[in-house]
Amino acid sequence: MTVIKKPDLSDPKLRAKLAKGMGHNYYGEPAWPNDLLYIFPVVILGTIAILVGLGVLEPYATGEPADPFATPLEILPEWYLFPTFNILRVLPNKLLGIAAMAAVPAGLATVPFFENVNKFQNPFRRPIAMAVFLFGTVFAIWFGIGACLPIDKAVSLGLF
Amino acid sequence: MKKQFKTLICSISAAFMVFGNLLPETAQAYPIYAQQAYANPREANGRIACANCHLAQKPTAIESPSAVLPDTVFEAIVKIPYDVSKKQLVASGDRGPLNVGAVVILPDGFKLAPPSRVPSEVKAKNKGVYISPYSSKSENILVVGPILGDKNREIAFPVLSPDPAKDPKVKFLKYPIYVGANRGRGQINPNGDKSNNNPVLAIAPGLISAVDQDAKSGSTTVAITAPDGTITEQKISKGLNVIAKPGQAVTKDTLLTTDPNIGGFGQAETEIVLQNPDRIIGYLVFCLAVVLCQIFLVIKKKQFEKVQAAEMNF
Repeated sequence: MTVIKKPDLSDPKLRAKLAKGMGHNYYGEPAWPNDLLYIFPVVILGTIAILVGLGVLEPYATGEPADPFATPLEILPEWYLFPTFNILRVLPNKLLGIAAMAAVPAGLATVPFFENVNKFQNPFRRPIAMAVFLFGTVFAIWFGIGACLPIDKAVSLGLF
Repeated sequence: MKKQFKTLICSISAAFMVFGNLLPETAQAYPIYAQQAYANPREANGRIACANCHLAQKPTAIESPSAVLPDTVFEAIVKIPYDVSKKQLVASGDRGPLNVGAVVILPDGFKLAPPSRVPSEVKAKNKGVYISPYSSKSENILVVGPILGDKNREIAFPVLSPDPAKDPKVKFLKYPIYVGANRGRGQINPNGDKSNNNPVLAIAPGLISAVDQDAKSGSTTVAITAPDGTITEQKISKGLNVIAKPGQAVTKDTLLTTDPNIGGFGQAETEIVLQNPDRIIGYLVFCLAVVLCQIFLVIKKKQFEKVQAAEMNF
């Protein structure tokens, strides 16, 4: 029993497409109805069963009632704000902190203008953008971890 | 039955208070102080009241089932790790073993399991460990201690889960459990004074002119001569390891002794689901329906593949 359609190599159109690395949808098992009608529902039902299981076995805990007069023991924002929070925390001056925070999007916005003389689109051939991206990623992770540590380890992470 | 149990608990804790007060040198963690001063030991910011006197921080862990059925006895195990080879400074200035104490703040409706329902192996394990409710109003908060730490670095709290069918205030939900556990003596007495379980700091700047140990009482007197010639004498009680030496220049708050404290307080939290057995059965039925549906879809696909194989035009 075969439902797998073989590529018709006598068709010049298909040969031309295959030569360009395209046309792979002209052969093989058809998406409709084999996959879309019969196998997709299997996967969707399985996902629903897993999610219902999580809902039954691990219901979401109701949080504590909010109290505006109770300062938490650990003051931390949401995780995605950890790096900027740490910048604010380690800089001695509030104005400097605001300036450093504003400098993040402002600095990122200038990168395309500097790199504009470069004719390549490939990120590996755009050294300034790549360097800024890599530095920003490492810096964000480093300072994000630092935000969770006591203030004396906020920059060094206690490593040196 | 319930009332009898309550009075039993009260009498045990009353006897325990007397015991604790009679033996201040062996009993060095005092949940009773917190019980007298705080209606709820957990402050709004999440700190447990013990941390107000036990200033040093040490790790604490809790192990409890992730879900329990209603009206079931389960164990919440509090772990209080420390190095048993170490001895701590006691109030008299001698060295003694560390004591431990713990508080477990359960969700509303959860309470200490009645002795008749505690399994015998848990009872055997908990011999000599008197767990009591924090107060008559808050039966969901359990305290234990001070007890000898050597054998009790893990304390098992037998807990009875509530039944929403009997108590309409309790719902089938996920709830937090907060736990605080301490080993060793505190740094502050309930009246606000520092205990002798603290390093001694210089009270005045100057040059240390003399360090005299009194052989009889064991205490040490450190004389500090200020630049203007005034001599300040500072007494260091017995048992502390004096590091100040004659001729040493000190500023205010320079350490004159090492820190004698080896204990500390830690808190942890976990979550527990009060699970409805009907929901589990319902989920299993649902899963069965899903699996059947998936099997039939695959069978239908196999059937249609035969049609495709026969016609070969698509």
